[in-house]
Amino acid sequence: MNLFEVTDSDRKSQYRNMSEVLEACRIQDLSSSTNLKASRIRSLLNAYRLSKAYEPDSKVAYVVEQFPNELVYALGMIPWNIESMAILLAQHGCADSFINLTQQNNVSRDICSFLRGSLGVIMANCYPNPDIVLANDQPCDCLSKLANITSKNYRSPFFSISTPTELNEDTLDYLAGQQRRLMKDMAAALNMEFNEADLDRTVGHSNEAREYYCKTLELLRDYRLPGVAREMLEIFGMNAFGIPENVQLCKTLYQEALEMSKKPENKRSGKRVLWAGQAPDGSHEIMQYVEKEVEVIFWAPLWNSNMMKLDPDDPYRSIAQRAIEYHWHMERFQANLAEVCDTYGIDGIVISNAWGCRNMLALSPMLREVCGEKKIKYLTINVDFMDRNNYAFNHVKNRIDAFLEILKQSHL
Amino acid sequence: MIEQAEIFALMNRNRAEFVKSAGRPAIGWLSIYTPEEILDAAGLVPFRITGEFAQNTSEAGSMLCSNFCSYLLHSLSEGIEGIYDFADGMVIVDECDWRKRLYEAWKKQLNPPFTYFLELPKVITPESKAYFRLQLKKWVAALESHYQIQITGEALRRSISLHNETRTLLQRLYKLRQSDRSPVTGMEALQIMKAATAGRKEEFNRELARFLDDVEARNEPQAKPHRVLVCGSYFDQPELVEIIEQTGARIVCEDTSIGIKYAEGRIEENEDPLTAIADYYLEKATCARMYDSDIRLNHLLDLIETYKADSVIYFTLKFCDIYLMDYPYVMSRLQQQGISVLFIEGEQQMSNIQSIKTRVQTFLETRMF
Repeated sequence: MNLFEVTDSDRKSQYRNMSEVLEACRIQDLSSSTNLKASRIRSLLNAYRLSKAYEPDSKVAYVVEQFPNELVYALGMIPWNIESMAILLAQHGCADSFINLTQQNNVSRDICSFLRGSLGVIMANCYPNPDIVLANDQPCDCLSKLANITSKNYRSPFFSISTPTELNEDTLDYLAGQQRRLMKDMAAALNMEFNEADLDRTVGHSNEAREYYCKTLELLRDYRLPGVAREMLEIFGMNAFGIPENVQLCKTLYQEALEMSKKPENKRSGKRVLWAGQAPDGSHEIMQYVEKEVEVIFWAPLWNSNMMKLDPDDPYRSIAQRAIEYHWHMERFQANLAEVCDTYGIDGIVISNAWGCRNMLALSPMLREVCGEKKIKYLTINVDFMDRNNYAFNHVKNRIDAFLEILKQSHL
Repeated sequence: MIEQAEIFALMNRNRAEFVKSAGRPAIGWLSIYTPEEILDAAGLVPFRITGEFAQNTSEAGSMLCSNFCSYLLHSLSEGIEGIYDFADGMVIVDECDWRKRLYEAWKKQLNPPFTYFLELPKVITPESKAYFRLQLKKWVAALESHYQIQITGEALRRSISLHNETRTLLQRLYKLRQSDRSPVTGMEALQIMKAATAGRKEEFNRELARFLDDVEARNEPQAKPHRVLVCGSYFDQPELVEIIEQTGARIVCEDTSIGIKYAEGRIEENEDPLTAIADYYLEKATCARMYDSDIRLNHLLDLIETYKADSVIYFTLKFCDIYLMDYPYVMSRLQQQGISVLFIEGEQQMSNIQSIKTRVQTFLETRMF
C-alpha cells in the first residue's frame, strides 16, 4: 500500500476511521478542563464543525496554524487545521499509533512531533477529504511542506501564500496582492462565486469577536481569572475569527471574565508565570503541577498580532499585516515579550521547547535575554507533548520544583 | 607539477587566504539563491561560507540550539572563531526558517559591518518575480549606501556575463559526466563545485577551462560503472563520496547546492539586469524550500534520466526539516518508478561514518552484483 495516496476518499469511511481511533482511546469527553460556560460552547462548536466537515457536501479547506481563515470563511468553507487536530488527539493520549505509523514509513524522528503526528493521522486516513489545501508558511516551513505533501495524498488543489518576514509597504503590498489572487484562484478551483461582500461580512465578525477578545485580555491584566487564560489560548488556537459563533464564544468569555472580576477573591494575588512556547492541555501533569503553585497565563494569545482589528476598507492589507506580525521574528518577539511582562505583571517565565520546534529552540536564548534585562526568573524545559519517546515528567519535575521554589522566595 | 584537479582542492583548503588575496572587501553567503552578480558588480568578493573549518559548535549551539542544521551551526561557529574576520559581513537569503534564526543570531552576536537579509518568495509567479526584483533593488541601494558606490547597469551586465561563463563551464563538466564512462570522479566534482563558490570567478574559470581540456583528452575508464546520483540538502561530504566510489560505483550527478543546482541555467544578458537576475534565481529554485515538492521531484526525475542513474542516495543533514519532510514523499514516487533509494542522515562533520559506510556498501553491492 502506498501511504502517499489516499485510496478511499469517502468521508463516511474517514469518519468511521476517526471514530474508531477515538473509541479505542476511550475519548468520552472532549470538553476543556475549565468550568467556564465559554469552554463548553467552544467544545460544542468544535464538535459541530468537525462532524460537519465529514459530511459529503461540506467544502473543507486544510489550513496551517495561522492561516487567515477569514478568507476561507468568506467562501463558505470549513477550515481544517491539520496540526491542531493531531494535537487534540495527543492531548487525549491517542498519538502513539500515528507516530508509530510515520516511523514505519520513513518519516524522520528529528521532525517536530506535532507534524509527524498530523502526517500519521493523514496516513491512517482519518481526516475528511479536503476540497483544497492552503498554506502560508506559518508558523514554520515544515508545516507548509506537510500541507503540500498532503494535497498530493488527496489529489486536491494546493494554494499557497508566501509571507515575507519584514514589515514594510512593499511586503504588505506583495502579500495583500497574493491574498486577492488567492480568493479568485480558490473560487475558480471550487467552481464557486466569490463576492467581496462575503469577505466584508467575515471581517465584521472577526472584528466583533476581536473586540471581546481584547477586552477580556484587559481584564486579565488586573485580575486572577481561573480558566480564562487557558480559554484565550484555545480560542487563539482554534482560529475561528470570521464566523458569528466565534463572536458568541468571545462575548460569553468576556462576560464571564467580567463577572469574575467583580469578586474580591479574584483580585491579583500570588505569583504569575508566563508560559512561552507549546503548552499541553490543562489536564496534563505538567500544567496541573505548575498551576497548583502559581497562576499561569499563556504568551501566544497576547501577541500583538492577536490584538489587531482588520480594516473594513482594506481587509487584505490588514490581514497581510497581521500575517507578517505572526511570523517568528527576534526583534518583534523580544519587544512583545518585554511589553507583556510589564503589562501583565509577570514574575516568571516558562520557556517550553518542544522537540523539533527549532524556531522556538533558536529563539529561546533571545527570550532569556529579555528575562535577564527585566530581572525575571525563567525556566527552560525540553518537552514533547506528542511523542512520548522524547519526554518523561520525572526529567523536568526537579527543574520545575527548583523554579517554583526560587519564584516563591523571590520577594524575600 | 600540481595536478589540475588538486588546484581546486587547494582553493578550498586555503579558502580564506584565496578570498583575501583578491584584495577587495569580501561578503560571505550561505545560499545558492544569493545573486553573486550583484556583489561582484559592487566590487566585492562574494564567497560561500562552508562551515568546514569550525573547531567547536558549543557556543553556536548556545546562541541557537544544538539540534539545529549542522551546516548553519558550523557556519556560525566559523564566524565566532573569527575565520571570517577579514570579511565585511554576510548576506543571508530567506531560504528556510533556520537561516532566519541564523541571521538574527549572526547580526546580534557578531555584528559585522554589513549584514543583510534578502527575502526570497517560495512560489514562482510573475508577482513573486516582480517582488524579488524589488528586494534586489533595495539590496543594491543598501550596498551603494554602505560602500558609497554606484552599481551601474554596465557593471551588472559584465558580472552577469562572467558568472554565465562559469555556468557554461560547469555545465560542460556535467555534460562529461553524462557519458556511460564518465571521466570525472565524484571527488573531483565536489572540489570543483566548492571552488566555484570561492569568489574568484576569473581565476576559477581559467582553471576549470584548463581542467576540462585535460579531462576531455583523458582515456575513458574501461569498465562501465554503476551510476549514482546524490540528492538532498547541503552536501559537502568527501568521506561519503570516497566510500561510494571505493565500491566501484561512480557519482555522476549531485542534485544539491554544491552540485548541479548551482550550475544550471543562465541569466539572460540582453534584458534589464535586475529583472534578468530576479527571474533567473527564482526560476532555477528547485530546492526543497519551495512550497511545491513536485518542483524538486520532477527536476530530480529529469536528472535521473539524463544522467542514467542506477541508484539514488538521498542525503540530508540532521535537523534539515524541509529535506526530511520531503523524503517520504520523494522516496515513494521514486520507488513507484522502480528507482532504488538509500537514505542517509548525517552531520556536517560526519561522526558516524563507519555505520554509514556499512549501509552504503550493502546498498550498492546488492545493486551492482
